[in-house]
Amino acid sequence: MPINATSDAQTMSALRRTLSLAAAKQVVSSSNLANLSTPGYKAQEVDFDEALDQQMGSGLSVTDSRHLGGPAGSGSGIATRDAEDNGARRDGNTVQVDRELLNMTRAAGEFARAQTALAAKFRLVRYAINETR
Amino acid sequence: MPTLNTAVSVAASALTAERTRIEVAVSNLANAESTKGLDGKPFRRRDVVLTADPVQSFDNALGRASATGVKVSAIVEDTSPARRKYDPSHPDADGEGYVAMPNINPAEEMVDMVGASRAYQANLTAINLIRDLVSRALELGKV
Repeated sequence: MPINATSDAQTMSALRRTLSLAAAKQVVSSSNLANLSTPGYKAQEVDFDEALDQQMGSGLSVTDSRHLGGPAGSGSGIATRDAEDNGARRDGNTVQVDRELLNMTRAAGEFARAQTALAAKFRLVRYAINETR
Repeated sequence: MPTLNTAVSVAASALTAERTRIEVAVSNLANAESTKGLDGKPFRRRDVVLTADPVQSFDNALGRASATGVKVSAIVEDTSPARRKYDPSHPDADGEGYVAMPNINPAEEMVDMVGASRAYQANLTAINLIRDLVSRALELGKV
């Protein structure tokens, strides 16, 4: 099997999935933070398993290792579920600021990690295009 | 990056809502002693009503609500009765010498204001985190 390290489609699409999942987590957490004072609002969190299925299931199928997958799941919605509730607030709102900010920071870390790896991949491709100059 | 833009607009909607909350609390505090409001009656305490507001986007058009902002759906007057203070020399005093004062408790307003300003800070932090993400994403195109 020929080794095609530069445009490794699987790695690239895995990294892209990580990026869009991290972005989705940011959207969900910022929605929760926005509704910090809305009575009765139920905090949402990204349903990882569901989101993974969505990401894996949609988009173009890759039948050859040299194919680039389609924009898997990037246009579709985010699978969310109600976050667990400790019932501490009397207005029925279940948002916890610390949890949301922690989730956002964590997602930012995931995003940065995947971005660094993806940038390294792109650098390899550019290196090949420029004939190693 | 449509999703990250949505996240920013969601956080921005919260900034607007929390700012309105602070404005209302401040005007309540300022008028804690106003015996004549715009309608000539004692000033009445005002309160904001916050409602979750799903962001209109392509995702929603497809029937999948993802991002939820917040909006001030109404500013309502507190209907609790006016405070009565005995002050016969006051020009607004009634026949028995009582003046109807606004139904405002400064401590309550301060608590509301601190809550709103914490929420504002949390959303600002969120915007900063998203901005980091966006700039990281832009670095993908760099050499």
